Amino acid sequence: MHRLVRQQIAKATADGRVDIDLFVDLVGRAYDDFDRDRRRTDRSMALMIDEIDMVNRNLEGLVGERTRELRAREADLRTQNLHFEAALSNMTQGLILHDSSGTMIVCNQRYLEMYGLSSDVAKPGCSFHDLIAHRKDTGSFKGDVDEHCSAILRKVARREITQTVLETAAGQFIQISNKPLADGGWVSTHEDITERRRTDERILHLAHYDLLTDLPNRAHFRGELERALERVQRGERIAILYIDIDEFKSVNDTLGHAVGDELLKVVGDRLRGCVGKNDVVARLGGDEFAVIQSDVRAPTDVSELLKRIYERIRAPLECGGHLLTTDASIGVALAPDDGTDLNELLKNADLAMYGAKADGRRTYRFFEPSMDARVKALRALEVDLRKAIVEGAFEIHYQPLIDLRSRAITGCEALLRWRHPEHGMIEPARFIPVAEDTGLINQLGEWALDAACAEAASWPDHIKIAVNVSPVQFRNQTLALKVAAALAASGLSANRLELEITEAVLIRDDEAALATLHELRRLGVRIALDDFGTGYSSLSYLQRFPFDKIKIDRSFIENIAASEASSSIVRAVVGIGAARNMTTTAEGVETEAQREILCKLGCTEMQGYLFSPAIPAAEIARLLIDSGEISTATPAKRRRTPRTA
Amino acid sequence: MRSRQAAWNPLTGWAPARADLSDASLVLYFGARRALADGARYRDLRAMFPSAHILGCSTGGQISDNNVSDDEIVAAVVKFDATKLRLHRLRVEDSLQSRSYGAALGQALKADDLAGVFVLSDGLNVNGSELVAGIIGAVGPNVPLTGGLAGDGSEFSETLVGGDCAPQSHAIVAIGFYGSAIKIGHGSAGGWDVFGPRRRVTRSRGNILFELDGEPALDLYERYLGEEDSKGLPGSALLFPIQVHDADRPDTAVVRTVLAVDNVARSMTFAGDVPEGWTAQLMRGSFDRLTDGAADAARQCRARLNLDEGDQQFSILVSCIGRRLLMGQRTTDEVEAASAELGADTLRVGFYSYGEISPHAKSGMCELHNQTMTITSFAEVNG
Repeated sequence: MHRLVRQQIAKATADGRVDIDLFVDLVGRAYDDFDRDRRRTDRSMALMIDEIDMVNRNLEGLVGERTRELRAREADLRTQNLHFEAALSNMTQGLILHDSSGTMIVCNQRYLEMYGLSSDVAKPGCSFHDLIAHRKDTGSFKGDVDEHCSAILRKVARREITQTVLETAAGQFIQISNKPLADGGWVSTHEDITERRRTDERILHLAHYDLLTDLPNRAHFRGELERALERVQRGERIAILYIDIDEFKSVNDTLGHAVGDELLKVVGDRLRGCVGKNDVVARLGGDEFAVIQSDVRAPTDVSELLKRIYERIRAPLECGGHLLTTDASIGVALAPDDGTDLNELLKNADLAMYGAKADGRRTYRFFEPSMDARVKALRALEVDLRKAIVEGAFEIHYQPLIDLRSRAITGCEALLRWRHPEHGMIEPARFIPVAEDTGLINQLGEWALDAACAEAASWPDHIKIAVNVSPVQFRNQTLALKVAAALAASGLSANRLELEITEAVLIRDDEAALATLHELRRLGVRIALDDFGTGYSSLSYLQRFPFDKIKIDRSFIENIAASEASSSIVRAVVGIGAARNMTTTAEGVETEAQREILCKLGCTEMQGYLFSPAIPAAEIARLLIDSGEISTATPAKRRRTPRTA
Repeated sequence: MRSRQAAWNPLTGWAPARADLSDASLVLYFGARRALADGARYRDLRAMFPSAHILGCSTGGQISDNNVSDDEIVAAVVKFDATKLRLHRLRVEDSLQSRSYGAALGQALKADDLAGVFVLSDGLNVNGSELVAGIIGAVGPNVPLTGGLAGDGSEFSETLVGGDCAPQSHAIVAIGFYGSAIKIGHGSAGGWDVFGPRRRVTRSRGNILFELDGEPALDLYERYLGEEDSKGLPGSALLFPIQVHDADRPDTAVVRTVLAVDNVARSMTFAGDVPEGWTAQLMRGSFDRLTDGAADAARQCRARLNLDEGDQQFSILVSCIGRRLLMGQRTTDEVEAASAELGADTLRVGFYSYGEISPHAKSGMCELHNQTMTITSFAEVNG
């Protein structure tokens, strides 16, 4: 029996009798209780299910929303990661990130490439120690692995930024920068600074070295000289050589800068080859070089160096297809002899160099206190010369050339004269080198040619006119044109014009000069080799070009009566001339004895005081009349000297 | 210690007519408000037990052994051999002062040898949680405090409490047990199951709940109760007590039962605090689960008392009116289940209350409970 029924029976029982009505009521109420409870339960369950369903729907909505947010964030992160990866992999630097324990978090491809590391070893999760050990194994790390690792970790712990430069076995320079991060880790960037270093070195080099010759430049030279002068204070003796390439400007002007540059390079190389290992060769600019000769113990040390320099410099060289020779004017100053102050010494060497130039170049001079004044005078001369050209202070004198046998005048040599307002008449030997150095010779020479041709046009047809052409002029490629123009302007026939050149023309540049000579020859102009016997006097020049005339230098004629050597040389030259059908002219004939010897030797022509010095145009016209070359006096028209613009 | 049971009903009067423990030190009696209201039954008892402290209150049903009755007055008569008792009584003037009443009671009973406190309180005009907190604050957390809030059947109009005087409204009575001989066991369990979604207390003040998840609490209850049961409010709300806990401390979960509803404010007044921000979840009970809960409370009590076989003990069972409301005729099931655990020799009286007072089964902190079966057992050991 159910407990409840038993209880109900017990409750409905009184005095041993069951009150049926009460029992039924109890049972009925129990059913009601159950029904109510069931209804309540059903109702609450249904409500709860609804509520939970709603909560679920809300949750689902929330989850959906959160999922969308997460997906969007995931996509953002993926994009960010892509950007990050792209940035990392396109960095020119190697980058590696470590956490506080030294474990690698990330590194880029560049880092692996930089050290040639394996991505199997150098990968996220790899310890710092293992990474350095791997670098040691693969040769990009040389030090002690343990020591290096603990040093870096120590510095990171102290939050120090470190920057080191490492040189790899392959000769690369890697700049490594370790920067601690807030979380205790650190980021390490590795940059290949090899190229930057080389550039820096190159810039430094360029600041101190001349780009063309790779010799120390003026600034560096001064530094070297300062150091050398410190040694002078301690008792050493040094020499400073200022070297100026003779007639360099004309090389540049006529053959172009490329050839000029090439020439300077060769000169630089040659100078370098001449000096000792403690000596310094520098290019000060333009065609100026300088040498500091250290530890000069005897005067011969300097002269031997000078000898070596001249030997090397004068050796012919090929530049841009041209065979050239060059020469130099060198000034020497000694320390402490000529001073111990840097600027003073430089000035003195410079003065000495000008001294060498003034003495006709192609030579050297040691500094002398008097040079200062001399150079000043030379500079003053240059100023005057420019002024003179503008003002037309030049005139041409003519010296007759005489046929040795008939004693008849065959022609005249035009000689330039400068009438200086203060110093009177100035000889060409004084101002021509200055005119050549400054390039003024071109203007001056052109004027002289025009004037001489015009003058000669007034003379009898068989009288020739000889005009000197400077090597500087000769290297002007328009020389032949200018000559043709002068002939055309004057109406002088080409075969009456004789251009006198010195062998320097041929020494400088065979091919170009020969081409010009041939061009002139084609015009019908005669070519004479002047001052033969003074320079190299190589007979090969005579073979290279068929000169019309050889002019034997006055130094041979001077001694011809007394010196067998001189007369034999003259005889040889005359012999060559005769053999090649060249006129031979003796210069500087002053005595009848000299004339007679020359006549006997078979020389063709003479020129000199014995017959006449160089005389103004008017006088030469009179002379021609007097000698019967001209029947009536027709004085030559004076021409003005050219004016510069 | 000796104890006897006594009972009164309108037909037979007191039985036995005169208890044989005329020197009893303590009498506990429980009856329906109407049966107690005139004070006659107190005077009967006082006449019978002139030297005893006499405590009683109105109820929602009386428990005596395995029976639950509405008409009888049940009483336990106890003679302690060594235990001293002290009774203190207060009149409730302002329910908001519940904590200070508790504190005053605690102060009155406080002593070094205080072994336990049993309290009976007005069931409608006192915030039980505050009362308990006040007493514990005075006597300390280590003194076991048990008891209950007086009931008024399903009427919720007036509750009566008496302590050495006729039962009256707005009263609180506490009795302290002193000395080392007295042993007190206690147990409390519900057996209710939470159901439905967790809700947040979005508006409340003290023990008045206004809103759950932004919805008036009364709306929710009415929906769950349905039209029929809604008519029985506030009593019918006992069918769906709520479990509340601090959102951050789920282990502090306590069950709250409804004392009153306000149809205008759509609020509900609970027997204990329902703090804002706490989590609340509806509960529901089934006959079997509630019966199991009662057995569990008895087991806790016995285990705590740990008596030897044959030792004399008496137990006071305070169960919630809500349980009775739900179980109907099956209410005796829970009383039988508890009795089976306590043993047939144990004197068992008790009542259906508007709130139970006992230490929490898990935390050990004394609290006001609702919808539980709370059992307190007393024994005296020699020495």
